[in-house]
Amino acid sequence: MDLKMDLEERLRAETWGKPSSVNDLPQRVPPDRQTQFPNFASHKNLQKREDQDPSISNYGMRIEPSFSEFNRPSECQPPLPSNPISQDRGVQMNDILQLGKTQEWDPKAMLNNLSFLEQKIHQLQELVHAIVGRRGPVLGRPDELVAQQQQLITADLTSIIIQLISTAGSLLPSVKNSLSSASTPPIRQLGQLGGILNNSGSGIGLDSNLVLPSQGGSKVPDQSNQVDPMDQSAIDNLEDHESKDDEDGDEGENLPPGSFEILQLEKEEILAPHTHFCTICGKGFKRDANLRMHMRGHGDEYKTPAALAKPHKEAGSEMMLIKRYSCPYAGCKRNKDHKKFQPLKTILCVKNHYKRTHCDKSYTCSRCNTKKFSVIADLKTHEKHCGKDKWLCSCGTTFSRKDKLFGHITLFQGHTPAIPFDENKGGLSLQGEHNEDTNKVGNVSFSFGSSTPSSGGVQNIMEDVKGNVDDPSSFFSPLSFEASNFGGFNEFTRSAFDDSEGAFSFLLQASCNYTQKNGGQSSSNNLE
Amino acid sequence: MASLESLTEDLLVRIYKGLASDGDRKSWRLVCRDFHRIDALTRSSLRVLRVEFLRSLLANYPRLDTLDLSVCPRIDDGAVAVLLTSRGSPWAFPRAASSSLSPPGRDPLAWTRGLRKLVLSRSTGLGHHGLEQVIRACAYLESVDVSHCCGFGDREAAALSCGARLREVKMDKCLGVTDVGLAKIAVGCGRLEKVSLKWCMEIGDLGVDLLCNKCVDLKFLDLSYLKVTNDSLRSIGSLPKLEVLALVGCSLIDDTGLQFLGGGCPLLRVIDMSRCNGISSCGLISVAKGHEDLVQLNASYSLTECSSILLRCFKDLKNLNAIKIDGARVSDSAFKALSNCTSLVEIGLGKCIGATNLGLMRLVSGCVNLRVLDLTCCHSITDAAIFAISDSCRNLTCLKLESCNMITEKSLYYLGSFCLLLEELDLTDCGGINDTGLEYLSNCLELSCLKLALCPTISDKGLGHIASKCRKICEIDLYRCNGIGDDALAALSSGCKKLRRLNLSYCSDVTDRGMEYLGQLEELWDLEMRSLFNVTGVGLMALAAGCKRLADLDMKYCENVDDSGFWALAYYARNLRQEAKLVHLNKVTVEGFELALRTCWVRIKKVKLLAALRFKLSSDVRETLHSRGCKIRWD
Repeated sequence: MDLKMDLEERLRAETWGKPSSVNDLPQRVPPDRQTQFPNFASHKNLQKREDQDPSISNYGMRIEPSFSEFNRPSECQPPLPSNPISQDRGVQMNDILQLGKTQEWDPKAMLNNLSFLEQKIHQLQELVHAIVGRRGPVLGRPDELVAQQQQLITADLTSIIIQLISTAGSLLPSVKNSLSSASTPPIRQLGQLGGILNNSGSGIGLDSNLVLPSQGGSKVPDQSNQVDPMDQSAIDNLEDHESKDDEDGDEGENLPPGSFEILQLEKEEILAPHTHFCTICGKGFKRDANLRMHMRGHGDEYKTPAALAKPHKEAGSEMMLIKRYSCPYAGCKRNKDHKKFQPLKTILCVKNHYKRTHCDKSYTCSRCNTKKFSVIADLKTHEKHCGKDKWLCSCGTTFSRKDKLFGHITLFQGHTPAIPFDENKGGLSLQGEHNEDTNKVGNVSFSFGSSTPSSGGVQNIMEDVKGNVDDPSSFFSPLSFEASNFGGFNEFTRSAFDDSEGAFSFLLQASCNYTQKNGGQSSSNNLE
Repeated sequence: MASLESLTEDLLVRIYKGLASDGDRKSWRLVCRDFHRIDALTRSSLRVLRVEFLRSLLANYPRLDTLDLSVCPRIDDGAVAVLLTSRGSPWAFPRAASSSLSPPGRDPLAWTRGLRKLVLSRSTGLGHHGLEQVIRACAYLESVDVSHCCGFGDREAAALSCGARLREVKMDKCLGVTDVGLAKIAVGCGRLEKVSLKWCMEIGDLGVDLLCNKCVDLKFLDLSYLKVTNDSLRSIGSLPKLEVLALVGCSLIDDTGLQFLGGGCPLLRVIDMSRCNGISSCGLISVAKGHEDLVQLNASYSLTECSSILLRCFKDLKNLNAIKIDGARVSDSAFKALSNCTSLVEIGLGKCIGATNLGLMRLVSGCVNLRVLDLTCCHSITDAAIFAISDSCRNLTCLKLESCNMITEKSLYYLGSFCLLLEELDLTDCGGINDTGLEYLSNCLELSCLKLALCPTISDKGLGHIASKCRKICEIDLYRCNGIGDDALAALSSGCKKLRRLNLSYCSDVTDRGMEYLGQLEELWDLEMRSLFNVTGVGLMALAAGCKRLADLDMKYCENVDDSGFWALAYYARNLRQEAKLVHLNKVTVEGFELALRTCWVRIKKVKLLAALRFKLSSDVRETLHSRGCKIRWD
């Protein structure tokens, strides 16, 4: 009973016990309190020790040290700079501060907020531990006491959640400038902290509705420690896999704002063909693995297993961060200033998103001459199925499956299926081989920008024009043709759509646009 | 004539409207110019035989709302184009007669605005261009029938979809129409209420689903013989106004699909699920429970077992008046359950295993209002059952007893005594019927259709009784009635002037004399006379000269018919048009065929000829027939 009273008094004495005062937290916590890390570390150690402690029956033993720990953060206000880790981090933090000088948000204050929150979670955790420890042997406790404990914990949790949200809210709009992902471990650390807080917060939020808050409380640190590496590995997997659905993939992910680090690459960086450069010869690579393979040629020191290993792996366990990316295009939903900002998960997502959404679609399918893409992988995917889209709507949309077409027609008023004219199917297979060839050429010689797969399409246009001279619906400006250089393409096969005059006149128009854009430069210069 | 002239125009119109048959109206037209004008002003429907006169006819009938071109052998894109030109055509139609009646300045396309219904059934010559022209020209068209245009496909369907006001589309057996074509129609004609897609074999669930999505006003839907599955029924179940649904021969649907129906379509009244092999009593129960207002239910040849539970369900359907469960196994107790449905007017029990005397007696003890009863192939029933039926159901109008071998003349006695309203009686293959029976039957004065095929025991005498009293008869089937000879035909020709259909095949006693009698039947329309060895060219000539309306003629194996008969046929039978089966006529020379075909080819639609003739007939005959839309089947 004394123990309990003691607890309560201590809690009352703490400032964070009053939920009404959560908003003026930054004032309460001095901005120069940078040194919560040693405490954090010691807490972790303590936790470990407790977990390993085999004498579970000895409750008094367990409670006592935990209380001493509990009191320490609030009592020993002066930081402990002797810790080398903290020093190191402090240096990095200064770097960050210099980086972010122009920005209006104060990472120091943020860090303090987060540390403070973490501290409080630990306090709460220990309180719950204490309760758990006492409840076991003494079953005959009065019910009102249990209820009081519950109330206490619930109130604490509520205040933590509110603080967390307010912290996050202050963080979100302030993150603006881009920070290269590779050069910001402290930010990662920060994000990791945020992630822990977030995870624990949400865990409490979930469990606080339940009857047993003690369980939720005791779980918190474990949860945060376990979840983060998993997230990290998940992100790694995503990067390796080059997932295409990345943009939509994270729609459902409901990360609260501020719980992750937001990075924003510049447009030039996004559109750069290579992201990894050889420090010796300057050759660029798309993938780091390719760079490492390349490095082997520069000497034996690059052939060691350590040099060939994935560089981020060992850091992964310590720097557990949730990284999210912002699109540099202002006004985009993926831009961090957007009201309903939805972050992108990986750099690849950023690249694909930026190209798909904010770039010209310069890759035209050479089979249908109508579909355009800005990401070459999309073009390849499309070309696998192109030609099979025999289900055509009156609006010009094609579908590979009849039921998709009918679903489309059901959805849109006035749309009807178009009745295809008899097509010449013979040319399709030849056309396909041809496309693959040109695609290869495009990959080898150009990694980015206008490329060659559309060269077949150019030929198609020419053929189509010949076939459709008398068709009034397929109007062409002859200028656009003269503007583009068609030399050297006469050997290509005829188009599959030669004789489909009326139905595909819109396709011709589309392809016409294409030639105006980049048909000439890409095809004539690069295919010789 | 003075008294006639005193009749005002509206009185004449009222009299004219009382005329029932085409023949009467024809006579009316011929009375005088005034009567002709009344006919022209009042007539609302037109069925044209020859496309040559179409233009002038259309100009003459300003009130026309229905145009039937189904018997016009060759209406093609060119004809349509000419029809729709606003100026006089270069190959001007004879307009002398019409010019006096119609004001000279009238718009020649006025008819397109009045037209509401267009029947283009079997217009195989029409292409999608012509069809689209017609549909676009007739802006107020509400109903179009393109059934049995087997060559029609999606393009034609797209042409139909130009008629935004269409409420009714009948496209049975348009074999080329796919889901795409149906989607065109569904999107283009959103007001559709009646759609018939029978035998449009290419249409599947997707099309039906779209139709149900886009045309929510549908009241009538016929999907017979389509490869639709339960998915279609799910969409159909969402139709709020559907009243009639036909699913004949949709073998892919099952009870699950019927549950969708049971839960939807609140106004459903008529459902035809015959020949759906996948359904069982369970499905029908869910339909019956969902629709208390069901009026007609047809599940013939769908059920193997007709459970008593199902029949008890029918009791709750207060308005149910027709039920067909042909081919199902029915127990006596089931009949007992069915007898509670006192509202029933029509019951089909053809080929029902277990339809016994006892069962039928139980049935008719409750269902006293029966008018139509089908007992085809219920082999075990006897005179006792017929007695019970005729005694209880005095209003019986149609009774089918095909292949009920046990019944005798006693049954006909009961029918002749009690069922005086009987109109249709099928006694095909009832070996127990004789002349005495027919005499009893002749009391049924309303009889209009009598089928006596495969009854070798009847003779001229029995048919004489029928012919002398049953004056309303219009159809008689005497297929393989070997006892029938010329005298029977004499009696028929004098008594049954309304006879339209007659089957005399294999009645080998019939000679030229009988044919002469038949020549007196002016209404005769369809004659089957296979293998009448004793009929020669003389008889055929007499027939052709008399029966001006003859349209369908089957004279296979009439081996003694020669060229003279053919010439007569060619000369007289101006209406012979739809089908002529002219095979195995050994005595007819190639020249005879050619002549007959040449004279008929404007009108004839389908002809069946011996394969050997294929190379003998001159090529231009064949080509001309072909170009006129006539189908030649080589046998």
